[in-house]
Amino acid sequence: MPSSEIKPTRSGLLIVRRRMALAERIHRILKMKLDGMMLELIKLTDQAVHERRVLEEKYARAREMAAIATMMEGATGVLLAALSVEITPTYTIDHRNIFGVRLPTLEPVMVKKTLIQRGYGILATSSVIDDAADAYEELISQVITSAELEGGIVQLLDDIERTRRRVNALEFKVIPELIDLRRLIEYRRDEMERQDAVRLRRIKKIKARRG
Amino acid sequence: MTLPGLISPSCIYACTRFRIRRTKLLSREDYRRIMKMGIPGIITYVGRREDYQEIMELTPDYSGARLVEEAANRNLARSFRHAMSIVPRDLHTLAGEYLARWDIANIMAILRGTFFDIPREQVRDLLVPAGELDRSLLDHLLSLTTCHEALDALEGWRLYPVLRGYHRTCGEPGVFARMENDLYMSYYAGLLGLVASGYSGCKELFTYLRFEIDITNMKNLLRLRCGEEGCEIATIDQTMIPGGRIPVDLFRRLYHSRTEEEFTSIFLQTDIVPILARAVREFRQEPGFSSSDAAELVWQRWHKHLLPVHEIEIAITRIRLGELEGLSRRYPFSLLPMLAYLERKRYEVANLRAIARGKAFDLPSERIWQYIVI
Repeated sequence: MPSSEIKPTRSGLLIVRRRMALAERIHRILKMKLDGMMLELIKLTDQAVHERRVLEEKYARAREMAAIATMMEGATGVLLAALSVEITPTYTIDHRNIFGVRLPTLEPVMVKKTLIQRGYGILATSSVIDDAADAYEELISQVITSAELEGGIVQLLDDIERTRRRVNALEFKVIPELIDLRRLIEYRRDEMERQDAVRLRRIKKIKARRG
Repeated sequence: MTLPGLISPSCIYACTRFRIRRTKLLSREDYRRIMKMGIPGIITYVGRREDYQEIMELTPDYSGARLVEEAANRNLARSFRHAMSIVPRDLHTLAGEYLARWDIANIMAILRGTFFDIPREQVRDLLVPAGELDRSLLDHLLSLTTCHEALDALEGWRLYPVLRGYHRTCGEPGVFARMENDLYMSYYAGLLGLVASGYSGCKELFTYLRFEIDITNMKNLLRLRCGEEGCEIATIDQTMIPGGRIPVDLFRRLYHSRTEEEFTSIFLQTDIVPILARAVREFRQEPGFSSSDAAELVWQRWHKHLLPVHEIEIAITRIRLGELEGLSRRYPFSLLPMLAYLERKRYEVANLRAIARGKAFDLPSERIWQYIVI
């Protein structure tokens, strides 16, 4: 029933009180959820910052290893080794639940390979190619870790924004409106009570005068 | 016809030409000068040399480090083809066997490119026709659409018997790597087999090749060990080249050694140790670095599953080339001057590429210098 249709009666007051209790409880729970999500966000952000720093280091190392591999084997040698890759690295996606938010969990698949799984011949390549491949495998692995955390942060931020809007709506619109409505009903009921009392007194006087 | 015991005039002529060509390669002073230049300076400096005319021809198509690398690769191919044209007939087989290394790289690039459907132009750019298979045959192979057609077209190639067994399985996962390893095994077996030809310098070349095989095997053993998951005995057997001074069985024992004492006692039995100690002495400027220190160094990397140190690998290559040159001077009219020239030329190209690429990646000059083989 919309608030405008609630009548200033006892049952109307009960409906409003019930709604207020519900709104306050939801407000309290949502605030707790918001606090929890903020704490999780801070934790995830710290982790993401750390992982991003590691990612930058691994990227720099991968670039350096690629530079050394290109120096020693030539762009041709590096490209030939790259052409030999038979299994493309990928990832699987799953979800974990944090305060009702579905955060992504990425699992690397065939990112770290053994020397045999890489597809290039051992006798045709040198250890610089292994170093470059190792460095890039670690980089891809780190990209997946960072993407998981940063994807989680984006999801969490979305949900924090939505929850905050709900908390604010409850705090600044729904609850104040219900308070106003309750007060209005109470005033109206007091007024009606006073009117009844006056009416009864007056009837009593009339009856006394006639009797 | 030459009388037995006498050296043929054609051999004297060819060996002298190779020695002269060797002197025309870039010297230490040239490298020092190049190291101080930027990439445009290197292009100008190298382009002015009469043997690097390719650089000017390629200027419209390439630039920067890519231009240097492409020109150096083409120069290598041209130099090796020219070397093949001047070797006397009796050295021709050996030169062909030696240059088959480039044929293997080209064939594997073409087979992989064909199977994985990589644009032909991209594969063509990767080919260095420095071996026996010339550009026209490689272009023909590139025009073929399946792996089987490419294998059929290689029927006349000296290493074709290795490929014959892969007709059915070509393209299956891991087959190209196995094929490549088998081709290299066959390549080394072919080179070692030439010792039976009895040509002057064969004995010394045999020693040199066996040492190269030992070093390659040791490096590959470290690479196999480096992976987090250990490899099987079968993998060691497939990747260790037979014919070196160190038997494959010793590498197997080395791979399964668990304690430092066990490892060092086996490792000290190998001929690699003194060379490794010498390489580290030269690289680190540590005169007191002994063989046991070298064994300890290798154990440390072995124990921690680390790859070999590239700078020390380069230092060993320097020693190896130095020894080959010493031998070529000791046996001036043998196959050694030719091989010394071919190896030096190969590393000259590698050096130019390393300098250009290193400069393109903004690596410090001292770091680039460690990768130069002079």
